[in-house]
Amino acid sequence: MEASVPNEPPSFEQAMLPHLDAAYNLARWLLRHEQDAEDAVQEAFLRAYRAFGRFRGGDGRAWLLTIVRNVCFTQLRRNHPSVVREVFEDDLHGSTFDPGEVNALVWRETKAAQLQLALDKLAPEFREVIVLHEIEGLAYREIALVSDIPIGTVMSRLARARRKLQTELQALARKETTHGL
Amino acid sequence: MDCNEIRRLLEAATDGELDVAHQLAVEEHLGRCPLCARAVEGIHARRTALQTALPRFTAPPALAEKVRSALRNEGAPVRTSASQSKRADVFPLWRVTGLAASLAMALFVGYTWGGSRVRTQALVDEAVSDHVRSLQANHLMDVASTDQHTVKPWFAGKLAFSPPVTDLAGVGFPLVGGRLERVAGQDAAALVYRRRQHAINLFIWPARREAAPPVTRERDGYNVVSWTDGSFNFLAVSEIPAVELADFAEEIRQATP
Repeated sequence: MEASVPNEPPSFEQAMLPHLDAAYNLARWLLRHEQDAEDAVQEAFLRAYRAFGRFRGGDGRAWLLTIVRNVCFTQLRRNHPSVVREVFEDDLHGSTFDPGEVNALVWRETKAAQLQLALDKLAPEFREVIVLHEIEGLAYREIALVSDIPIGTVMSRLARARRKLQTELQALARKETTHGL
Repeated sequence: MDCNEIRRLLEAATDGELDVAHQLAVEEHLGRCPLCARAVEGIHARRTALQTALPRFTAPPALAEKVRSALRNEGAPVRTSASQSKRADVFPLWRVTGLAASLAMALFVGYTWGGSRVRTQALVDEAVSDHVRSLQANHLMDVASTDQHTVKPWFAGKLAFSPPVTDLAGVGFPLVGGRLERVAGQDAAALVYRRRQHAINLFIWPARREAAPPVTRERDGYNVVSWTDGSFNFLAVSEIPAVELADFAEEIRQATP
């Protein structure tokens, strides 16, 4: 499993280090802390290196991000047990999700800082799918690989995450209006 | 399909995750249902807000070196390379391009929801299947040469236009050959480049009939990037990571006067 065999590309370095920013971005959003994110990324790369013999080519970014998110969730469970509760609901009712009405006005008027705040308030599992889809640009299929959930669950979780985000934004906007008055 | 069924598909449709048949059904419905069309406007507003407001954090410069040194301690053969850190410097610039591309894409999708979007999807589908076929049928090249001065004349007499041919071996994308293809109902030059053991197909065809939309997307594990320079349309497709394909596209753009 040594990756140093010559003429056997790609090496671990070639396959995985280009995804350093993707790894850091996910860890930074999940852990919401710079130093914690750096530590998680470093640990994830070490684990990835040890497991690289099991990497069968293909989507290197998804493979690495799976390890990153697992390291992050382990850390969240250890340090903030109250934050992490498994999101079972959407797995049970995967097919019955209702995307609801998207309030265009809310989204047009939202400020960047509010949106970031709202995203920080979501449960990590919901934040995860938003980050992977909206920021990292992953397709449903890739998110299913990273988070190890069925594609149907990716769809419903993403729909619920977007809806929750809108609810948070509306709450933040209400707060601001009240304080403004 | 009625409005309820359409509503359940809207998120997947605007995410570009529907199969062609459902996508067409949704678009056909949107053309005659103002209520559902308004729902799509909301979804576009949300996407614009998310993509402009949420930062993609980039790894602090020191982190790359920390990871490398941790890997070296683990016995991994990792270079202390300066070329990698140079790449990292270039990356944020690329992100800006990427963001501009996604904004352009969002605008494009937002304003020409309808026929053009169907054509865009068809173009992406076609390019990916051309790419896959070229690999499967072992028909990657009709002219195999790493010399742009051999490849370019080869197209003369076979195409009504003269495609720009550039070798990018210097930046890690050696040209390995070319062949003829049909793209969007027109004759196109397919240039084949290599990245490690992967092939990149770059389709080039005249833009005079219709300019290619700026697209960056993934389909069935293949990444697709397209753009136009006014005279020619370009579409690159490959299984290499999206980031690398974007680098490739940027190199081609810079090399094409």
